[in-house]
Amino acid sequence: MKHLSEEELVWRHYGESANQSEGANQSEGANQTDEHLKSCAQCAEAFEALTRDLAEIAPIDPPQREEGYGQRVWAALAPSLEPYARRKRAWLGLGLGLGRGARMRWGLVYGAALALLVAGAFYSGRQWEQQRKPPVTAVRQAPAPVKQHVVVVVLSDHLDQSERLLVELKHAEPDSPEAASALSDQARNLLVANRICRQDVTGADDPALAKALDRLDRLLAEMASQPGGLDAAALAKLQDEMNSESLLFQVRVLRSGISNRRKAGKTRLNGGAI
Amino acid sequence: MFRMGKSDHAAIRAILAGDKEAYGALVARHSQSLFRVAFRIIGNEADAEDVVQEAFLRGYRGLEGFESRSNFGTWIYRIAVRCALDRLGSRRRNENDRVGEETEPERSQVQVADSAPGPGRLLLSGEIGAMRESAMQSLTPTERTAFVLRHMEERTTEEIGVALGIQPNAAKQAVFRAVEKLRRRLAPLRVNR
Repeated sequence: MKHLSEEELVWRHYGESANQSEGANQSEGANQTDEHLKSCAQCAEAFEALTRDLAEIAPIDPPQREEGYGQRVWAALAPSLEPYARRKRAWLGLGLGLGRGARMRWGLVYGAALALLVAGAFYSGRQWEQQRKPPVTAVRQAPAPVKQHVVVVVLSDHLDQSERLLVELKHAEPDSPEAASALSDQARNLLVANRICRQDVTGADDPALAKALDRLDRLLAEMASQPGGLDAAALAKLQDEMNSESLLFQVRVLRSGISNRRKAGKTRLNGGAI
Repeated sequence: MFRMGKSDHAAIRAILAGDKEAYGALVARHSQSLFRVAFRIIGNEADAEDVVQEAFLRGYRGLEGFESRSNFGTWIYRIAVRCALDRLGSRRRNENDRVGEETEPERSQVQVADSAPGPGRLLLSGEIGAMRESAMQSLTPTERTAFVLRHMEERTTEEIGVALGIQPNAAKQAVFRAVEKLRRRLAPLRVNR
């Protein structure tokens, strides 16, 4: 007599056939298995053992969420979402996913920077020409997309590093002073970069980014202001703050968005389609 | 503002017409079930909450691709499963400290014949729980996810296949491998049973 395989027993336990097939074949297979189990003591015993083993692995009971959990999720999520109609218009624009106002302001900033660069280059060229009388040469200027790309890269790197720091903070153990001290050092390094990025996005019509950088600034400042490193209480407080504001999640979302812009910018620079 | 009375489809129509707030109703309605499956797959409260948020974010961004004939609850559930699987995969890649969990089954035989409650028994039940968790940790992310979906969430192999983006037979194999591994790892618990 051919005995049932362990796989056949497993699928009998779950009420499915071992062979992935449709309708009649499935129930026919189940019937054959049942018939065999009735007539074969060895397989019946193996089936019973399997059933017992699987019954031992009780479903994991997740910890209860409070009644307003869904609203808490929504509160954390909402600032990262753009209404659909607005989002479409933004993507139909310059293609960098910025709002219209943001594009105009960034455009003005880049325009002013470019004008300054042109003026500086022109002035330097004139001076140099007067002194040495060289042959006239054209001043090559970086095209605007290159500059946009640089800003996006800097922001993307900063958010990437901040995300890593927040992940470390999230998993930091209070009984590891070395790790806590390293966190303070990293926070100090990131604080300066964060303030520069914060200044850059001022008036860029990206409230989610500005808000997240503000929160990040507060958290980094607190982390950095502990010269001897973070003690257990300070660590717990920072972790609470981070969790209550869903800061890690927000930074993750922003980093992912900026990273997409970065890729889009790179494609654009390489002459590819976005 | 939440509009709890709205059906999922009506909420989706409103969102696609530019009413972002309508998504709040969907989030409120489906957060608990997403947290449950995420926690069962991930086994960690904070990460499970992250998965829920990420799933809703991905869901929002992909809402234009949602087919109106489908069920939003099922659709977002699948997204959450994929997010949890991704999270589990990246966590495993980053983990360096799980060597200690590789307990040799021969060395960890646990006697469970005594049914009298007491400190010893409580300690033992904690130990059994730890062994179960260790056994679950020995599964690959796909095996663990497939097993959780089949054994705890009572999903069919077809549903598991769709959620994991694999063929139903591959889903079946993943569940079977998980059961095999778990039985092997938990064999010491059967002593004196």
